[in-house]
Amino acid sequence: MDLKNPVEQAVILLRSRLCNPNFIFTLFSDSPDSNYSKLKYIISSSVTESCNNSVLLLGPRGCGKLAVLELVLEDLLREFPDMISVIKLNGLLHSDDNCALKEIARQLCLEHQLAFSKMASSDENSQFLIAMLRECGLAHKTVLFVLDEFDLFAQGKQRLLYSLLDAMQSVTSQAVVIGVSCRLDADQLLEKRVRSRFSHRKLLFLPPSREDLQRLLEHALLLPSGSDLPHEFVANFNSNLLNIFADKKFKDIMDTVFNTDSTFKQVLTFLFSALCHLDLKCGFLSVENFKDALSNIQRQPKLECLKDCSILELYILVCMKRLEVREHETCNFNSIMKEYKSIHDSFQTTDYYARDVCRRAFEHLLQRELISFLDNRGHGHSIEFRPVKLLISWQELYQGLKSYGSCPAILYKLVERETTT
Amino acid sequence: MAETPKKRSKQTPKHQQHDLSSSNAITIPATPVALEPTPVRRSSRLYTTPTAATAPPPPPPRFTRRKSLNFTTTTPTPIPKTPKKPAPQSQEDAAKQISPISPDRYETRRKRKLDEEKNAGLAKNKDLKGGKKRVYYRKVVYDGGEFSIGDDVYVKRRENAESDNEDPEVEECVMCFKAGRAVMIECDECLGGFHLKCLKPPLKEVPEGDWICRFCEATKLGKNVELPVPPAGKKRARTAKEKFLSSDLWAAHIESMWKEVDGTYWFRSRWYIIPEETAAGRQPHNLRRELYRTNEFADVEMESIIRHCYVMNPKDFSKAADEGDDVFLCEYEYDVCWHSFKRIAEISNNEEDAEEDESDKDWNSCEITDSDSEDDTDYKKEKINGSQRGPSFGHSLAANLRKGQFFGLQKIGAKKIPEHTRCHKQTEIGKAKAMLLLACLPKSPPCRNKEMEEITAFIKGAVSDGQCLGKCLYIHGVPGTGKTMTVLAVMRTLKIEVDSGNIKPYCFVEINGLKLASPENIYRVIYEALTGHRVSWKKALHLLNERFSNGTNWEEENNKPCILLIDELDLLVTRNQSVLYNILDWPTKPHSKLIVIGIANTMDLPEKLLPRISSRMGIQRLCFGPYNYQQLQEIISSRLKGIDAFEKPAIEFASRKVAAVSGDARRALEICRRAAELADYRLRKSQSLNDSAGTRRSLVGVADVEAAVKEMFQAPHIQVMKSCSKLSKIFLAAMVHELYKTGMGETSFEKLAMTVSCLCTSNGEAFPGFDTLFRVGCKLGECRIILCEAGVRHKLQKLQLNFPSDDVTFALKDSKDLPWLAKYL
Repeated sequence: MDLKNPVEQAVILLRSRLCNPNFIFTLFSDSPDSNYSKLKYIISSSVTESCNNSVLLLGPRGCGKLAVLELVLEDLLREFPDMISVIKLNGLLHSDDNCALKEIARQLCLEHQLAFSKMASSDENSQFLIAMLRECGLAHKTVLFVLDEFDLFAQGKQRLLYSLLDAMQSVTSQAVVIGVSCRLDADQLLEKRVRSRFSHRKLLFLPPSREDLQRLLEHALLLPSGSDLPHEFVANFNSNLLNIFADKKFKDIMDTVFNTDSTFKQVLTFLFSALCHLDLKCGFLSVENFKDALSNIQRQPKLECLKDCSILELYILVCMKRLEVREHETCNFNSIMKEYKSIHDSFQTTDYYARDVCRRAFEHLLQRELISFLDNRGHGHSIEFRPVKLLISWQELYQGLKSYGSCPAILYKLVERETTT
Repeated sequence: MAETPKKRSKQTPKHQQHDLSSSNAITIPATPVALEPTPVRRSSRLYTTPTAATAPPPPPPRFTRRKSLNFTTTTPTPIPKTPKKPAPQSQEDAAKQISPISPDRYETRRKRKLDEEKNAGLAKNKDLKGGKKRVYYRKVVYDGGEFSIGDDVYVKRRENAESDNEDPEVEECVMCFKAGRAVMIECDECLGGFHLKCLKPPLKEVPEGDWICRFCEATKLGKNVELPVPPAGKKRARTAKEKFLSSDLWAAHIESMWKEVDGTYWFRSRWYIIPEETAAGRQPHNLRRELYRTNEFADVEMESIIRHCYVMNPKDFSKAADEGDDVFLCEYEYDVCWHSFKRIAEISNNEEDAEEDESDKDWNSCEITDSDSEDDTDYKKEKINGSQRGPSFGHSLAANLRKGQFFGLQKIGAKKIPEHTRCHKQTEIGKAKAMLLLACLPKSPPCRNKEMEEITAFIKGAVSDGQCLGKCLYIHGVPGTGKTMTVLAVMRTLKIEVDSGNIKPYCFVEINGLKLASPENIYRVIYEALTGHRVSWKKALHLLNERFSNGTNWEEENNKPCILLIDELDLLVTRNQSVLYNILDWPTKPHSKLIVIGIANTMDLPEKLLPRISSRMGIQRLCFGPYNYQQLQEIISSRLKGIDAFEKPAIEFASRKVAAVSGDARRALEICRRAAELADYRLRKSQSLNDSAGTRRSLVGVADVEAAVKEMFQAPHIQVMKSCSKLSKIFLAAMVHELYKTGMGETSFEKLAMTVSCLCTSNGEAFPGFDTLFRVGCKLGECRIILCEAGVRHKLQKLQLNFPSDDVTFALKDSKDLPWLAKYL
């Protein structure tokens, strides 16, 4: 570490900060209105008052639901050592009831150093769960069930949720069910009898506001003065950064990022990629870095796809566009070939390829998902006869053609003519 | 139970570390302890010298000093298997002045006298003949004291300890060293007794609340205190309690009692332990009179019993005022292997029930299995010890397999009892929160008297009716209207009636349809509940069919009527509905004696089923309507009786709100609890900000309830829409615009993108490009603000608003960063 120059050290420090959600979210944890303190209050009150609770954490993806939860759990585990056991399930993995029960039993066994058997039936597992809840309740231990992707647990008969929530209706048990979901209507998915047992605490996680974002930028990027980095470097780095923050150009860039997607996750990825563009020789962040990062995260995949297409493929796309404009509801390879031929005949283009070659180009377009089959029927048919649809709009096509270096002028004309008529 | 003396000697010493050379230390009878029949009265703070009026009933008159043994048992029950080696010890022989006088019968409820006497004679005969068998008793009068199972006693710890002989019943005053008749007060710290008049300044009456003597107060302040020295020649006598608390005595719980073949009387003890002897030591929150119950058992001769003590759960302990000096508090169980604590579940009710339920026969068999299982636990314990030494868990039983009866659960326990659980001082709001928990059920559900009567009448009619043909009751109602709770409350009251002999005994099986892995499993569960055997469901179905349809009973005496309660009945509906049919068909069979109570939410479940099922089930129905607001209000206020935490309008507001939506009592309770939580949170916040303002509003008000209602019922989409990114807002506005323009709810991404680009160009916003817009749409779809197809469809993706367009209008109308949106909404 000592051999590295301060710039590298600083970059490493900043990167590790940006990748560590705990560091980012401690910024917002101190105010009493934050989700952090509310969630902590709910969980710790059920630890200390030995009651059962169920909470839903809702909000769009990337707003720090799990990160805040992790932060709270870490704090509580430190505050009440030996009194909390956390069971984590994910709806993508354990939406099947039997599998979820087995996983719960496994984690409970692991937590309490008991021997676990894979052979146990789901009946036995659910009885084990109830017995464990009782024992833990008697020993003043709280069991926290964290159900990530909660909406996926709310499928089918919801046997798992029912048995969890029903077990929580006894005096001896002491458990908290925490559902995490990005679906805002997650609680509406519950069956009536399950919903009635759910205690309906909801915490809403929202994207940060402008002011929070400004705080976050300073919190994440400014170097700490008390570290082992040279003091002079830290001062220079920070003053440089503050200059950038005040820059009009930088503000515009941040606005663009923020306008499309204002979640924590997006902002952090943006900052990370800006940090990756940092020039190690100069040693400071610049506005250019942020500009590069912006183009890096705001990708236009369809346009980039068009850039990689061959001339023939562009021809095919234009043909499809022409057919579409002429309100041919469906077109297939054969009708496209007909159109291609007619273009060739009327404009005497030099690019005329054999049918086999065209077909290969057509298949390539299918693979790039620039075009797609209209429906899933007719798998048995050969490709030539299945109806296809264009997946990009004419503006995109036009833009793509413009940015394409060696696009034949005739294609331009064709597209332009189609749009004007 | 057949134990060789060797094993016993291994078991009896409670703590090897206390250097007991052998079990003889305990079993050798010391000189008889003369019990003065002068009981001590004790209050938590108050001593009075014994007065005859309030004294506990004096022990039964003794004929001679020690010889009189008056045995009272329900059944002297010879255990079928004879002990391998009845091993009398020579010392014990010497001490065998106790000879049993004819075992008298102890009256139990609902036992007819005639029967009793016959049995008694029989038992006596057996006793005389079969001297080689152990005889178990429920109650023994030994050495002047009457001991029955479940009593707590002091047990001698050392043999011949001189101090054991003196046993003052009355504590002396710390100041004047006299017992006297004057009122004494107990220090909550050192448990010393003080005469009111000996105090400086003297007290007129016993103060309210905790009282600490000045010596303890001074030690707390760090001063050196000299306790008054007793006058020369007088040795300070210690009571049994003091000896016990300084670990010179033991206390034990009598689990069972029996007479050995040689005529000595033994009991199986479950030891109590004082906090100092646990691994964690005395913790600051331990009360002076606190004990732990251990999971250690030993067989001890009854000679070593000194006398009774009284170990109570905290509830009784706080009530017990005049029980004497030997009252202790026990809230936790201590595992001696794992050094861990566990709360003792409040099963006193169940225990009573179980005791009442047991007929003599049951008692018998239960005793045998019990002893067997105890051996098992011993065996298990050894095993655990083994595994403790070597951390090889590979061969041990898995915890989640039934085979091991959830092996290893005893490992769970707190190493230390957390402090916060012992602080009994709660705020009013805290108390209210505890009372509003769904888990704490009231004894009988309020506002459901009519339904209770109906169910009671139904069951009584069915049970007392010899035939009980085709008895099915279908109960329906929306969730949270107390269906299951009412039925269970009825069953509880009926159980009491069974015990008092008013109605015939029956067996009761409760099944929840949603907790079965598959509907067919219900056969297995029923069979297991009835017989205790586990078989596959096919076999179980066959056996149940035999029992109910063909009338061939497994056991004649087990021919009690059977009440089957099936919760969430709709989950048992299979494709061909055979499970429901079978279950509902059994009651129609002449000798089945089966009564089925089904509970479900839907009113028309029978109509949805096959006609042959609905004709069997749909005859008798009971509807639990949703609660109206007065009922909800009553439910809430009955729980909050005596707790001043809620404003009256707040409760009314909550109940009206819930009654308007669903009439679900759980919801109403949860809303109130949440409101209490919010109020608590608010109070803490204001307290942390400035201490003085904390007491401003300590009641849960309408505002709190409103916040809770909002949280529960309101979908959060409006807030999310308000705070989402600029582009998302434009996207949503375009959706609404499109909707108004076309009148169609559904649109495609291509059309929408056109609209968005139009909006952007005409209002001076930069159009971000199709792909970015597409990503924004997918994000909104993830939150289900809009419904959209999968992303592969791209341009063709169909979009639809998930909420009414008015919500979007409301949310976006006055957004600050995009004022122009309003004109498109």
